[in-house]
Formats: sequence, C-alpha cells, structure tokens
Amino acid sequence: MRSAGPISGARLALLLGGLALLVLLIAVGSLFIGSARVPPGDVMAVLAGRVKGVDQVVVLSLRLPRILVALLAGGALAVAGAGFQALARNPLAEPSVLGVSSGAAFGVVLAQVMGLGGGLVETVGLAACAFAGALVAGVAVYLIAARAGALPVHTLLLAGVIVGIFFSSTITVLISVVDFDRLGGVIHWLLGNLSPIPPRSLAVFAALLAVGGWLVIGAARRLNLLTLGEENAAQLGVDAEALKRRIFAGAALLTSAAVAFAGPIGFVGLIVPQALRLVLGPDNRVVIPAALLGGGAFLLLADTLARNVIAPAELSVGVITAFCGAPFFIYLLRARTGTAQP
Amino acid sequence: MMRFLAAVALAVALLPAPARALTVTDQAGRQITLPAAPARIISLVPSVTEILFAIGAQDRLVGVTDFCDYPAEARRKPHVGGMLAPSLEGMVSLKPELVVVTNAGNRQETFDQLERLRIPVYVVNPVTVSDVLDLMGRLGRLTDRAEAADRAVAVLRERMREVTARVEGRPRPRVLYVLWPDPLMVPGRGSLVSELIALAGGESVTADGGPEYRRYSLEAALARNPEVIVLASHSSERSPPKRDNWERLSRVPAIAAGRLYTINGDLTHRYGPRIVDGLERLARLIHPEAFNRAESSR
Repeated sequence: MRSAGPISGARLALLLGGLALLVLLIAVGSLFIGSARVPPGDVMAVLAGRVKGVDQVVVLSLRLPRILVALLAGGALAVAGAGFQALARNPLAEPSVLGVSSGAAFGVVLAQVMGLGGGLVETVGLAACAFAGALVAGVAVYLIAARAGALPVHTLLLAGVIVGIFFSSTITVLISVVDFDRLGGVIHWLLGNLSPIPPRSLAVFAALLAVGGWLVIGAARRLNLLTLGEENAAQLGVDAEALKRRIFAGAALLTSAAVAFAGPIGFVGLIVPQALRLVLGPDNRVVIPAALLGGGAFLLLADTLARNVIAPAELSVGVITAFCGAPFFIYLLRARTGTAQP
Repeated sequence: MMRFLAAVALAVALLPAPARALTVTDQAGRQITLPAAPARIISLVPSVTEILFAIGAQDRLVGVTDFCDYPAEARRKPHVGGMLAPSLEGMVSLKPELVVVTNAGNRQETFDQLERLRIPVYVVNPVTVSDVLDLMGRLGRLTDRAEAADRAVAVLRERMREVTARVEGRPRPRVLYVLWPDPLMVPGRGSLVSELIALAGGESVTADGGPEYRRYSLEAALARNPEVIVLASHSSERSPPKRDNWERLSRVPAIAAGRLYTINGDLTHRYGPRIVDGLERLARLIHPEAFNRAESSR
C-alpha cells in the first residue's frame, strides 16, 4: 500500500472517499444498535419519518447526537494526535500522554465550579476554558522538555506525565473542596463519557473541529518537510517556528473541543494516526485527513460497544479506548523508541 | 497476644458493671457499652443529625459534618469536616462520648481510627424505610429520648398510612427516577428510593436489578415507557436540575403529558425522618388525582 512518491490528488480523494463511506456505514449501523432494542424495521420507519413517540426519541434524539459526538470527538482527538506526533516527531506524542487533555479537563472543571449559567454562554465558555487549560498545559510541557531547540523524547514524555499528574491533582483538589453533588458527574466524565448533547453544542463543536482541523490538515505538506529536520525544512522555505505554533494551536484547540464536549478520552490520538501510518505510510497529507475519519470511526465503534456491552447499564467509552490503547502504547514504546526516528 | 486479649476480655466481663452502664446494639449488630447515656455525640451522618434534632436530642450533639445542613440549627454545630475525611483531631478535641458513623458514606478507616483511640462508635446501616424508623427508636433509647422518639415514629407511621390509603387500589404508573442525569444514575433494586416509589403507588422502571444506585442507559430507560419522570435535585447545587435537556425529548409520552417533575433529593435519598415528606411528595406527583379529589371533597 505504501507509495514511494508523492500521492496523487485522485488517489487521495479515492482513499478519503472510501474511508468516508466506511464511516457512514458504521454510523448508520450504530443507529440500529442499542439497549432499547428498537426493531430494525422501526428504525427505518423513524428515519423515513413515519414513526413518532419513544422510538423516534431513542433513534433521533439519543442515538443520532451521540453518534455525531463520537465522530466529532474521535476525529478531533486523532487529528490532534497526528499533529502532536508530527510536531514532536515522535509516535508516542498524544493529547492525553502530553498532559494537554488534563489541562483542558482542568479548564472544564474550573468552569463548572465557577458556574457559567446556561445556553450558548455556557457552551462557548466551557470550550474557551478547556482551550485555555490545554494551552497552559501544552506550553508548560514544552518549556519543561525543550533543550536548546530540541525536544528529547524521554524528557517530553516525562514532562507530559508530570503536567498531566499536576492537573489531575488540581482537579482532585477542586472536587474535594467543592460540594460533591455539584460535581457528581465529574468522576464519570473524567473517564470519557459520551452523551447526546444539544444541537447548539454540536454546532459549536463542529465549528471548532473545522477551525482546528484546517490549522493542522492545511499544514500537512509543510509537516512532511519538517520531518527532514528544521534546518532542511527552512531551506525549503518553511518557517518552522510559525508552523509549530500553528500546529500546536490547532491540536490544542481540537483536544480542548473534544474534552469540553465529550470528556478527556485517552489514547484515540495515539492509536488512530499510528495505525493509519502503518497501513498508509508516513505521508501527513494522507495520514492527517484520514485520521479525521478514522478517529471518528474508532471512537464510534468503541462507544457503540460501551453502550451495549453491559446493557442496560453503560460503560464509559474511555474505558474501552484505554483497554485498546494501553497495550498499543506499550507495543509502540518497545518497538519504536529503540530506533531514534518515528 | 490473643491469650492476653482473652484474659482482658474475661476480666472486663467479670467486673461489676458501672452504676448506670448502658449496653446497646447498633445496626451493624455490635454491642457497645457506655458508662451512661452519652452527653457528647458527634454525628458523621447527615440523616442521624436530622434524627437527633427530630427526637429532641440535639443538645447532646457536639459535632456534625459539613453535609449536616438540616435543620438549619444543625449548621451552627461545630463541624468536623466531610463524610469521607472528617478531621480526627477535630473530633478528638470535641471530647465525644460517642461517634455515630454509617456503613454507607463514611470510610472503614475513620471507624478504625476512632476504635484505636477508644472512642465508642455506633454504626448505623439503614437500607429500608423501616430501618429508618427502627434507627429513630434506637437513637431515642440511646439518648434518654425514647418516648419522644416513639411519638415521632408514630406520627411518621400515621402519615405513611395516610399515603397508602390514598394510593391503594389505583393503577401503578411506571416511574423513571433520575438520581443524576449525565451519566444517568438511577435507583436499582432494594434502594430506598425504589421503596418510596412503590409506597407512593408507583413502579420504578429501573428497580428490576441491582446495585442500589446504578448507571443506566437512557434509551433503555425510555424504552420502558415511563409515565412519570422525576428529576432529583441536590440541595447543595445552586440551581434546580436542568429540565431543558429533558424537555427537548418532547415525544416521550411522560414529557408530552407534562409529567416531568423535580423533587428535593434530600427528602428521598437521606435515611432520616424527612423520607416521609419525600413519600408524600412522590405520591402527589405520581397520583395527583388521589390528592386533588380528596382535598376538594373536604
């Protein structure tokens, strides 16, 4: 499957089109699966607009928005992961490993403690606080890890772990200080918990994904040049510093949007770009847009499992992604860090 | 070591009991011997605090948790911290003669530390409505307020009979009770809330399985076609539960019929005397017709 030369536009379009079709199939399939056990015929009838009542609520108000959240959050986290990996030139870089998710989560919890009222103010406010938290965490990790312009792998990972622990502890402090009742859902939310969100939030989420996605995907070609090293990239006309800032802002925005609307779900940004790279090769112009679709598909599959595996109760989707992600992380750590380059 | 302990136990057993010694059995079945009815009690359980006030034993209460917010005077008692991590130093400095703890909400560690300090500990473990009434009687006997406690229990029983009389023989609407909206937490089999719903003449759609308080899929809950949906509020929250997320689901029959209600969760989740308030409120939500008709005929 690996192509040695530059990928043609037609081939890329074909690939992404096929992937989009796959995502659509999974999404439609997920509409039919759930603990309410709506018969397939009834789901069809609801989609055709012929059935009202509880079945319609289940399919259109519960399953559909949740499927959309999974697609948006999975896509956002996977593109963020791909962006961070290209930036750090390391396959282990990922929003949760780098502590950026924890920073965003801290922003969200803080916003909830302060109380933002409701409506659009709350929706945008949560996302803004998450973004601020993600930026603080990301900058902190960078400042801790950077050595004379370079980002040594082990220092970067350690800095990410430390910053992540710091923000997790800060969240714990907030939970301890504030009445548990007011933050009662936080424990589950911290595990990553998809739930149907109102159309207004979905729209804000989609807009943030569009901006963040454009920042990262639009720079995919220059990210390829960056893998040659910053000096070489500069000779080819790439402003490495500006590029890094752009990718960092985009990835942080994507991470914070996912955290604000779905929770700090781990490992999606690790598994998906990595798996895609194994299949499609290292070209960022292919891997990053494919991650947008593949991340959505992966998180949707995980959430469909989480919704049904112990019905009528539910698991948090973060549990499923962690079950998949932890072994994968270990595999990458063993297989890849031995060789200096990703 | 064991032999030494056995010898001590034997010696203690052979000693003549002190003059007004009081031996009681707590709800965990432990025997506790106190020199006299305790004059200085710390309650680590909000419902126990409520009971002590309800039976007129509040003067013996010298310390409460941050969560003991009812009645209002309870807030003015010295605080020893939260339920999970009360301050040991704070408790010791109040020189308690008895500390009341619960199996549900306090930690074993707190219990062990108090035992180590030889502070008598009384364990409460209410699960059902009758456990709550039983606990009121026990705490009454413990604090020389047996008669007041029995009177209070009799009043509660009478109010419960009144509710039963009104809802008896009526169809039992299916009720979805929402402890927490996101992720959805609901009462399961054997929980106090499920029992209150049944006593109020309803049938909880989530009471078919355990644990007492369980996570549940919203679509599975709605597929059981609840006729009444009750959202619990939590008194420490600034705002009542958000109804708008539910009102969006306007095609759900219960919501279309305007049968989406809220209830103060302290009345239904706390194992104190106010469960009967909660029962009355639930019964009015589930069977408004039973109360309206009766009132208009008066």
